[in-house]
Amino acid sequence: MSALAEVKKDWGKVQNFVNGEWVDSTTKNWLDVKNPATTGTIAKVPLSTKDEMNAAIEAAQEAWWAWRETPPVSRARLMFNLKHIMEREFENVARIISQEQGKTIDDARGETRRCVENIEVASSVTTLQMGYNLEDGAAANIDEEVIISPLGVFGAVCPFNFPGMVPFWFWPYAVATGNTFIVKPSEQVPLTTQYMFKMIEEAGFPPGVVNLVNGREDAVNALFEHKNVRGISFVGSTPVAKWIYKRAGETGKRVQAQGGAKNSLVVMPDAVMDKTVNNMLASFYGCAGQRCLAGSNLIGVGDVAEPLLKKFVEASKKLKVGYGLDESSNMGPVISEAAKKKVLGYIDLGVKEGAKLLLDGRNIKVPGYEKGYFVGPTVFDDVTPDMKIAKEEIFGPVVSFLRMKNLDEAIEFIHSSPFGNAASIYTQNGKWARDFRYRTQCGNIGINVGIVAAMAYFPFAGAKDSFFGSLHGQGQDAVSFYTDRKVVITRWF
Amino acid sequence: MVECEFPECTTFGSVIRFALELEKGAVAVYDEFAKDSKLAAGAETFKALAASHKKRGDLLEYTRREKLNEMIQEPIQDLDARKYIPDLKAPKGADLKAAGKFAAAMEVKSAMFYGDTSQFAKNLLSEAARIMDKMAKENLANKAKMESL
Repeated sequence: MSALAEVKKDWGKVQNFVNGEWVDSTTKNWLDVKNPATTGTIAKVPLSTKDEMNAAIEAAQEAWWAWRETPPVSRARLMFNLKHIMEREFENVARIISQEQGKTIDDARGETRRCVENIEVASSVTTLQMGYNLEDGAAANIDEEVIISPLGVFGAVCPFNFPGMVPFWFWPYAVATGNTFIVKPSEQVPLTTQYMFKMIEEAGFPPGVVNLVNGREDAVNALFEHKNVRGISFVGSTPVAKWIYKRAGETGKRVQAQGGAKNSLVVMPDAVMDKTVNNMLASFYGCAGQRCLAGSNLIGVGDVAEPLLKKFVEASKKLKVGYGLDESSNMGPVISEAAKKKVLGYIDLGVKEGAKLLLDGRNIKVPGYEKGYFVGPTVFDDVTPDMKIAKEEIFGPVVSFLRMKNLDEAIEFIHSSPFGNAASIYTQNGKWARDFRYRTQCGNIGINVGIVAAMAYFPFAGAKDSFFGSLHGQGQDAVSFYTDRKVVITRWF
Repeated sequence: MVECEFPECTTFGSVIRFALELEKGAVAVYDEFAKDSKLAAGAETFKALAASHKKRGDLLEYTRREKLNEMIQEPIQDLDARKYIPDLKAPKGADLKAAGKFAAAMEVKSAMFYGDTSQFAKNLLSEAARIMDKMAKENLANKAKMESL
């Protein structure tokens, strides 16, 4: 089966979108954007300057008041426009995601759907942003009410693993509630965002309301240094999330900073084996393990360990690794040469730490894509809780198998991790499932579900070192993050 | 003759792609029969079936676009799709009975595909399984129509 056609082979120079216009960056610093399956250069992305980010912030500030005065119902209508355009462009968006990020087309279609869903939820702004009041709430003849108001300019700094979805966790809610916005995509995957902005432009948002600035540190620093930026949403690694959180504190900005993860999937002795294994494959290997919700540690509890490991390794061996645009591929490449090197380094480390390498993905060759940044499914047995491969985020298709005596031991192990993004249990026992849900300190809990990806109308974030902030992305939490509650007490003489 | 490219069925997307190729092939076969003056007595039936298979293709596209999310992206293993590939090379100069027999065989393969993949889909996405079950039933009804020509 031949691969699906790319929307474009060569995207040329990526532009910024500021104040309703597409502009070339004046920076001298440009990076190659590579297709991770072919390693061919598919675009050039600018590392925009501080001045360019400042110009976008000023345009957003300039646009803000008129946008704030645009009734919510009118703002919602633009979201509806965008939703229709996105449905039309659905397959193109998915193919661009797959081309630049490497994930399989099914993964990319799922991601694109989540983008649309976030627009659908944000379209409900007339309900989501509604305040409340209480007649005689302050005293007799004195009423009290709460108005939910936008704040101004917000920005998002986005990661490489979900070039479509992550910006849509944020900007639709900020903009629908009357704020203006700047998206800074990952410099490794700028094409999906650029394509999305063509749709945003077509939908008819006024100039300056939604802006796109490509870049890296300079652009991010400018967001923090500008007094008009009211808050920042971030998704990336834990060290950077911590830095973002600290900088936001120093500069007095709102922040939601999502970091790394080390997720454990716990299989109890009564788990439905075939369905469990199949579901876990998607968790460990989907997006080549580069999801913050990806499984990383597989814990077999009690007698289930041996049969589980055998079945899991057999099933892992059968996965087809290939170009994401080949619809029969189960797993694509990792994002870059550096990412591949890091993942291979962890596999080497696991061997040195004494874990038993049951399935080795280091030397995989994908016919037709021999240069691609592929790592095959990799499974370690005899992993112990003190090993680095059981504790650190690998962000690749590497599974550490641990044996535990009982559920208490598994939960204790999960709690020993500084991360708290997600954890899953596979069982048919309601008591075990309830205990796991109740006690496990993670932001997302799966019960017979390995990828606990919150739908757009639910909040998404982790806990502990996986998230710094209080209000999460998506849904009502996002609305709260981008708005303030203004109390009005009214008395008429 | 229409060019169809049938993939290995290892993902939900590739199952839908396989199904889309089946529908594309069926549309082409029925269109060809409908235009054949020797088969004029069955032309209206062939046209209706071509339209029906086109509509099924649209439904599959919709299913892929609307129903897929991260929670159901499990791999599909041990499904040997080769056995479902139908013969789409319509016989030249066939009479109505032979054409009907050919189309009936094609519908049977398609029914087998949808029937078997609905079992896989049940584990992934019950809505998709329902659609596949419905498709299989339609295939069998079409087969009966073709055999009665």
